[in-house]
Amino acid sequence: MNGRPDGPLLAREEQQLVDGLLAGNEDAVRALYTRFARPIFTLGIRLLGSAEAAEELTQDVFLTAWRKAARFDATRGRLSTWLMTIAHNLAVDRLRRETGVSRPTLVLVDEVPEVAAQGEEDPLIERDAAVRALQSLSDAERRLLARAYFGGLTAREIAEADGVPLGTVKTRLRTALIKVRRANQEKEHA
Amino acid sequence: MNCAAVRERLAELAVGVLPEEDRPAVELHLRWCAGCRKEARELDQAAATLALALAPAPLPSGLGERVVARIREAAGAPGSRRRLRTAAAAVVAAMVAVAGLGWGAVMAGRADRFADRAARAEQRREAALEQFRKVLVGLPLGTQLPEDQTHLGQLAPTAAGRVGGGAVLELVSPTRIDFVIVIVNGLPRDPGRLPYRIELRNAGGDVLRGGEIASLDADGGGQAFRQFQNRSLAGFTTVLVRDAAGRVVLRGSIDGTQGA
Repeated sequence: MNGRPDGPLLAREEQQLVDGLLAGNEDAVRALYTRFARPIFTLGIRLLGSAEAAEELTQDVFLTAWRKAARFDATRGRLSTWLMTIAHNLAVDRLRRETGVSRPTLVLVDEVPEVAAQGEEDPLIERDAAVRALQSLSDAERRLLARAYFGGLTAREIAEADGVPLGTVKTRLRTALIKVRRANQEKEHA
Repeated sequence: MNCAAVRERLAELAVGVLPEEDRPAVELHLRWCAGCRKEARELDQAAATLALALAPAPLPSGLGERVVARIREAAGAPGSRRRLRTAAAAVVAAMVAVAGLGWGAVMAGRADRFADRAARAEQRREAALEQFRKVLVGLPLGTQLPEDQTHLGQLAPTAAGRVGGGAVLELVSPTRIDFVIVIVNGLPRDPGRLPYRIELRNAGGDVLRGGEIASLDADGGGQAFRQFQNRSLAGFTTVLVRDAAGRVVLRGSIDGTQGA
């Protein structure tokens, strides 16, 4: 494994961890938890609003990852992405179930991810890189993504709220994500 | 939905706000279109960046061990009811996994060797479905979507049966020969109960024979397999297992096959 406990893992190491999870290896579960539980729990708090719900979400994410471990392919994507996508999907599904509406209604204090303070103790794997990738966006683009991803607003709702055509919102969402994707790729190739 | 229409929606899918009415068509497309799937993965990664950038919250004490315990519990302790119930699904999964090796091997009962994989039934099921999908995708299936044609169900003991469990897999395909595999586990082995016969029923009350299980292994496990050359299994979603006296000992239903 990578010598730095908080450093990024190689694809081969990520696959080894998930293979361990697939085999029910508790050391692998603990290693995954150590690396990824905090961003998952944090996303849970952000989307679900309470530590209790976030804890349930965190447990559900690891259980789902265990069930679906055979589907993970490290050559196709990062482990962090896979886990955060599971977390986001589970949280959104839960909100839909609980509210009985087609999209969650979220109450958020701050919709835009904060930029890390200098010197802050930050055990999160990949957080610095994620913050840097988001810096490739304009404030408006960051806010747009956050309204959808954290706020659950559909493209149509954003279009109506802002008085812009639906197609424009869709294009902006896509453009913003592609910018982040490009920033991620540049980081990986750097 | 074509690639252009799907790609127009992938950003919304990635951030979790794709309207419900669009979701089935987009997800269906992504199952077979590698190009759009790659794009979806990349946009997912971009969306996940938003979550990864959040300022971290402190984790509750002991959560890690509770996560480990949940997975340990899900895997099932030896001999637990859950383990018994899911064991058959694991064997189905294993059988499906050997589909690429040929049905002859499966029919020869070689799937028995996979019974010891039962503890991780659910994940095996996932793995097998994935493998099954790959196997079928490699065949000339035209525009059909094999994953949509594969249906799984669990068999539970009836009041008369009281013990055992099982799983059933149907392939319902307009381009291939339909077949059904039934795996049972934990059934009584007394001679008077054998053979166990499989019955498939649709909502109209039609009945098809799904094969029979003439012998059981030491764990009360066995399997039946039947192909339907000239008949579609569409709509045959109720599955019964009867003992030699005709009592229904296991019952279950298949997830969502198309109407007959």
